[in-house]
Amino acid sequence: MKTEFRALFVGVAAISLLTIGHAAHAQDKTIKIGALFPMSGPGSYFGAQDKQGVGLALEQLNKSGVNGYKFAVQYEDSSCGPLPATQAAKRLIEQFKPDVIIGEECSDATLAVMPIVDQAKVPLLNAGSSSIKVTEPGNSWTFRIMPNEVMQGINLADNAYKRLNARNAVLLFENTNAGIGNAQVFKDTFTKLGGKVLAEIGFGRDVNDFTSIATRVAGLGKIDVIPTYTLEGQGLKITQALAQAGVTKGGGGDAIQIGTIWLPFGFEQKAGKSALGYIRIVQFDPTETRDAVKDFSTAFKAKYNADPTHLNAHAYDQIMLIADVVKRGGKDAQSIRDGLAATKNYSGVTGSVEFDTNNQNTKMDTVHYMETKPDMSWTSLKWN
Amino acid sequence: MTTTIVLQQAINGVVLGSLYVLVALGLTLIYGVLVQINFAHADFVTLGAFAAYFLMHLVGAGYIVSIGFAFLVGAALGWLINASIFTPLRRKGNELLPLIATIGVSVMMQNLMLAWFGPIPYAFETQYSSEVIRFSGIFVSWQNVIIIAVSSVTIALLYAFMKFTFLGKALRAVSQDRETAGLMGINPNQLIMLTFVIASALAGMAGAMLAPVLVLTPFAGTSVIVKAFAIVIIGGFGNVEGTILAGLIVGLVESYTTQYLDPGLIDIVVFGLLLLMLAIRPTGLISERREENV
Amino acid sequence: MSDRAISQQPVERKASLLSRRMGFMLAALSIIALPLIFNDTYWRTNLTICAINVLLALGLDFILGYAGQLNLGHSAFYGLGAYVSTLLIVKLGVPFWGAFVAGVAFSGLAGMFLSLFAVRLRGHYLAIASLGFAVIVYQILLNWISLTQGPLGIYGILPPPPIAIAGTLLVDFRNLAAFFYLVSGFTLVVYLLLDQLVRSPIGETLTAIREDEVSAASLGINGAAWKVFAFGVGAAIGGAAGCFYASFVGTLVPDAFFVTEAFNILAMVIVGGMGTLIGPVFGAILLTLLPEVLRGIGDLRLVVYGAALTFVVLFMPGGLAQAARVVRDKLGFGGQAS
Repeated sequence: MKTEFRALFVGVAAISLLTIGHAAHAQDKTIKIGALFPMSGPGSYFGAQDKQGVGLALEQLNKSGVNGYKFAVQYEDSSCGPLPATQAAKRLIEQFKPDVIIGEECSDATLAVMPIVDQAKVPLLNAGSSSIKVTEPGNSWTFRIMPNEVMQGINLADNAYKRLNARNAVLLFENTNAGIGNAQVFKDTFTKLGGKVLAEIGFGRDVNDFTSIATRVAGLGKIDVIPTYTLEGQGLKITQALAQAGVTKGGGGDAIQIGTIWLPFGFEQKAGKSALGYIRIVQFDPTETRDAVKDFSTAFKAKYNADPTHLNAHAYDQIMLIADVVKRGGKDAQSIRDGLAATKNYSGVTGSVEFDTNNQNTKMDTVHYMETKPDMSWTSLKWN
Repeated sequence: MTTTIVLQQAINGVVLGSLYVLVALGLTLIYGVLVQINFAHADFVTLGAFAAYFLMHLVGAGYIVSIGFAFLVGAALGWLINASIFTPLRRKGNELLPLIATIGVSVMMQNLMLAWFGPIPYAFETQYSSEVIRFSGIFVSWQNVIIIAVSSVTIALLYAFMKFTFLGKALRAVSQDRETAGLMGINPNQLIMLTFVIASALAGMAGAMLAPVLVLTPFAGTSVIVKAFAIVIIGGFGNVEGTILAGLIVGLVESYTTQYLDPGLIDIVVFGLLLLMLAIRPTGLISERREENV
Repeated sequence: MSDRAISQQPVERKASLLSRRMGFMLAALSIIALPLIFNDTYWRTNLTICAINVLLALGLDFILGYAGQLNLGHSAFYGLGAYVSTLLIVKLGVPFWGAFVAGVAFSGLAGMFLSLFAVRLRGHYLAIASLGFAVIVYQILLNWISLTQGPLGIYGILPPPPIAIAGTLLVDFRNLAAFFYLVSGFTLVVYLLLDQLVRSPIGETLTAIREDEVSAASLGINGAAWKVFAFGVGAAIGGAAGCFYASFVGTLVPDAFFVTEAFNILAMVIVGGMGTLIGPVFGAILLTLLPEVLRGIGDLRLVVYGAALTFVVLFMPGGLAQAARVVRDKLGFGGQAS
């Protein structure tokens, strides 16, 4: 017991010395970034990938710093739910005292955190929550770089109707905030244009068997497009089941699966030939030829030995955008908030960023369309 | 067209149902002998799935061999959980203690698997999953044929074991009356261990067969376990025949609910059925002599 | 201890009353002191969540530990209280305390309904019936989108209205300390009422039914009616916790009331010590704070949490309450057997 205490004492002393030594470098000022990511439960799907993107960005930025600032990130597990996100945000704000916070992914969690950052006057930079409510008027401390569900949904429905000449659609969506929201926007736009929605099939995140759903879809007659809103895991099963049932192109049918930002790069390799003809919006297109994208992909592959997903790219862009604000003079919560709001045509790996008065990114070049080719590669459709 | 759909959904339901049966049989066997619930049973399913996955991808084993391997992994887990949790707690008298202890085990296992395997779903492809048999509008993948074949054989073997072997008869004797088993000259502790090993081996095996069907993440088993509870009850606690029947019924209810109502309503229908069962026939579909619970 | 033992030892009874009063004073003082010691928003939030969970654990313990009814679906009453009160406020403009009463009453009635339904069932049949009830309640909250918003969630739920007299603001529940005092004060009152109840003839009746329903019936006790009563009381307490939850977190999604929440509450009761009132209080506090305290160790925190839960059950099967009793007896103070 005694030795343990001694060890503890020595440890604490060593850390304090290090900290003092650290602080002695007057130049090493730090921008503290709090990261609210789901890191336990099924939502850790997001957190694990977000962390990789953040890790790469930090590594690059802290080599030389920005305007004399280094960047430090504190992760907090917000578990994709309102209460744990609230607790995680309060802990971050009280104990880490961040200059800016990034996250959450799940809309419910982000919406629950927003009043807290508002009160604490710390900017929240969100990428992955699609609910329209995140950037409704009156949330002056929350920013979103991802196009929201309405922007994506209207665009998708429009393209489905006009470019694919689709008239009959079947909606498949998970019963979550994001799934229902996305499906609703598509339905409203598509029916307004004159299209017909044959069925809206929602399912829980615990549904195992998509053969039954595919069987039902197969019995609905002629279908042109199947907008699908679900994450990678269930998405794979749906795509394979629809092909097995002979509904989609991948299974010899006519229907085309379409969708918004849900599935990562590499999905088609996992899904195999069932994914043939899938057309979807991605927010990160690794086939883009911009230097920023190429450099990011190369660096990511070197660090993690894998191709980056849109989640990796989102997190990377969040940190890089903050660095850009710091370059433009941001140094604390208030100035970073103002700097974010003043962002003009910032060019990130997912596209460019410029916020409207509700702090929603307005740039549609973040919406990339891609189609899965017979060899499971994808082509960029240049629809935007 | 309509009959095709009805038939197709029947096939879908039976495939899913037979997987549910394998999971629920384990729960029911343990309950029959011990009147206790292993909450970590679901995570045995998940670990069985990962065991099969890694045997196939790291060692290059065939799918059928991997199912056997998952069976063994499950058996080992069953031995472990009985030795470490259920045996020490048996004399403490409170039937809820093992339930809570195994909730702890479940949380631990899920998060260890999360640390090891990560949260990104694995694509568990076998050479059978993309091969589809088609005849007059009906489609069945070879994977599903294997599921039905392997689970029918397993269930038949288990049934024969319980009905015709001395050990199996002893197991049933213990589940009905612990004193009788003592009179038969059998050590009940060994029987209990055997039950756990068999039950968990079934769970591991179910995992290997569910893996290509469900979304393979460290949380995969949880989606099955709540339904397995429902099946155990509908079938009558501790009743093997009832559980088999109930599992198939729940599988069919699931596919027909998807077809004619909404997949979001599956749980409401299944658990509505459960409450209805409890109200009109609390001993389960096939009643045995377990009157003391009613 | 039985009634006879008490009447034979009036001195001890007095001592026990005294020590209970001391305990109450101590509890009240800790409640007052805690938000002053932990004065940041994070810890004050944790304190309030603790108080809500204590309330949940007390309600379940009354059903489980005192009336002996295996309830695996306590999350249902928690969720019903939260949704009924919030929907009344948001959709019909009912004042907070009116909605609170309605939420509590609705949960209590739902509990009585379930108990009435399950009155023929015992042991694990009731357990699974209650689990089934919880699954169905969760699914209704999730699927009845036109009423509950389902997974879209309800946002911006307000805390209870401030208390003001003649225009002077006395208490504003947007203040976290004030909210904590409200919930913990309510919880303390519930605790004292339950404490009275279990020591009253009603408590003895419930114990008699729990121990041996047939003998109790031969004494003319209507076991079924008392069980329904106990289930209703426990469920109503769970409903109150739900009302506080909604107005405290401000956001309501059905996922907060998934059946795993019922298992969490059950774990609090068992870890604390079922069938005592003080045990679940500490069980709830421990299991609420443990994952928070473990945030420091990062990704493996839930592994440690799971291991801790397992080991507590393995090595302290009577829960914290029994462990404390063992320690107290070994140290040789506190004469009364309880």
